[in-house]
Amino acid sequence: MPAALTVDNVSKTFKVHQERANSLKQYLAARGRNRYEEFYALRDVSFEVPEGEAFGVIGHNGSGKSTLLKCMAGILRPNSGRIDVNKRMSALLELGAGFHPDLSGRDNVFLNAAILGMSRPEIAKRFDEIVEFSGLEQFIDTPVKAYSSGMYVRLAFAVAINVDPEMLLIDEILAVGDVTFQQKCMEKFVEFREEGRTLVLVTHDLGSVRNFCDRAVWLEHGSLVSEGAPTELVDQYTESMLADPSVKDLPDGARRGSGEIRVDRVDLLVDGERTFRVRTGDAVTFRLHFTATERVKNPVFSVRVASLGGALISAPCTRDVDEVPSYLEGSGVVDVTMPDVSLLPGPHVLHSEVTGYGRQHVFDHIQNALRFDVLAGTSRETDGLVTLEPSWTIEGPGVGPIGQVPT
Amino acid sequence: MSLRTAVAHRNLLYLLSLKELRTRYRKSVLGWTWSLLNPISQMLIYSFVFLVVFGATAPIGDPSGLQIYPLYFLSGLLPFQFFSMSVTTSIGVVEGNASLIKKVAFPHEHLVFSVVLAQVITLLIELVVLVVALMLFGQFALPWYFASLPLVGLLMVFTTGVALALSAANVFFRDINYLWGIVSQLLFYSSPILYTPDVIDNPTLRALTNWGPMGSFVRAFHEMYYDGRMPGIGRWAHLMVVAFVTFAIGAWVFNKLSPRFAEEM
Repeated sequence: MPAALTVDNVSKTFKVHQERANSLKQYLAARGRNRYEEFYALRDVSFEVPEGEAFGVIGHNGSGKSTLLKCMAGILRPNSGRIDVNKRMSALLELGAGFHPDLSGRDNVFLNAAILGMSRPEIAKRFDEIVEFSGLEQFIDTPVKAYSSGMYVRLAFAVAINVDPEMLLIDEILAVGDVTFQQKCMEKFVEFREEGRTLVLVTHDLGSVRNFCDRAVWLEHGSLVSEGAPTELVDQYTESMLADPSVKDLPDGARRGSGEIRVDRVDLLVDGERTFRVRTGDAVTFRLHFTATERVKNPVFSVRVASLGGALISAPCTRDVDEVPSYLEGSGVVDVTMPDVSLLPGPHVLHSEVTGYGRQHVFDHIQNALRFDVLAGTSRETDGLVTLEPSWTIEGPGVGPIGQVPT
Repeated sequence: MSLRTAVAHRNLLYLLSLKELRTRYRKSVLGWTWSLLNPISQMLIYSFVFLVVFGATAPIGDPSGLQIYPLYFLSGLLPFQFFSMSVTTSIGVVEGNASLIKKVAFPHEHLVFSVVLAQVITLLIELVVLVVALMLFGQFALPWYFASLPLVGLLMVFTTGVALALSAANVFFRDINYLWGIVSQLLFYSSPILYTPDVIDNPTLRALTNWGPMGSFVRAFHEMYYDGRMPGIGRWAHLMVVAFVTFAIGAWVFNKLSPRFAEEM
């Protein structure tokens, strides 16, 4: 299938000025030589957007995805490389850019559509549709400065979407407007895709990439890290994001308890290796290292596993399974092993606790003893906290073949 | 920038000019009257200074025989004001549309074109008022209104060239804006708007006044409206060269700089 858009070896640098000459005087004083460093916003990026596909671009803030979008939209010119656009394209970077507050909604529709490249008869033909989509029939002759921000955005989106492009570049604008309007936008995008038009979605909303896109690329520090099916790409991306040590730091665990026996450290082990990352379905061991300063009778160990958001997922203890020693002294380890961990991807914490047999007296409690991340593994579920590993059957007289990916 | 994109986006040009005209006098009580009050008040002030303070005599129109200083002044002031207002507004419009330039790909030069178009509408209205005034004093200037249209066209080409160059340069150096304030003053006084070139004794300065780019346009307007005669072939040739060379330079500068607008703003 022919490519709707080709990005070929595109690099874009910005000058980071140390002393920026903002005036002619400074410029002349420096004899035209501005001192600056080159900053690569994009470095040798190449990919193709096939015709009729929904294409996602993901990346952190500052990864270059907005620069890429602006290059694709023709707002910025790359320093090197080529971008070929083979389709009539419309880019939604900011809704209502170019709206003039003193002009009426009607005048702004015409002006905005003209800026987006429509001819006068085209606009006249689609005007009613635009107004209807925006739902602003009553206010169309009011100056837009009197509009609420929601009305403003609705009108702007209605214009942009009715430019009738064969290809639509969308920045993260889906988050505007009320829920009903967002729904309407999403429906419009789906309609677009079904009509065989091409969509390019630049976002860090991974859910919409996963659900909506046929293909995606992942940008990091201006370079293309990976390209592929959105599900896998989003998983890789989430992994890298969680592996980022900067998000690892939690305030030190708060400790309370009488202290005759203490947990010194909690390790997370997978295949005997210490780690902070596990996958759904891994064989996981939490190892609690303890030290008792005196002989402690019938100590009960427990771990509380919770999502970082605070939802308690499970809190097993040694008493539940009758694994309580009659006494402990000195130091040792307690292993809590789960052969097939059913936690779903996301950040998690573990709190540890040692109590007396009656569970009332607390020897030692550490809040946030361990912070760890769960990555996508055997289960493809995304919502919820754990997988119950269900199996599904569908029966009935009119059931088509199962397991075919929709085209 | 090419003529082809200008034609393809003529709708944009039309709507931008319309916006320019509609929003020019927003929130002012007198609105469009200002576009007439402005030159008339200037005419009164300068006429007072020139006739009363300096006690000078008005030039005599040849062959019209007019000897009315305010009309002489107006017929030079109107084209000059069109020129200077167009350039000032263009600089402001390109600067003021930063958010649009950063978010939408569109032909930037249309911002400048639309300003010049909107200003030329004003000029054409003001010239009608001038014609009426001239007719009140017995000079049948109506045919000259139509005869001056090619001259207005050349002035537009010249003005667009200057506006393109300066509005683009201003994106990179905001000094241009202030510099332009001084330069336009200089152009005003060095062009024979307040006076006739004949009053200058120094032949070099006189030639400069008469044939400086803006002075030459002012002279041509004087000849048509005040004197009531067709400018000579030399004048036309000079104006054509000035207009198209300026436009070519302006377009070149603008083309060179406009792809970098989005990142500089």
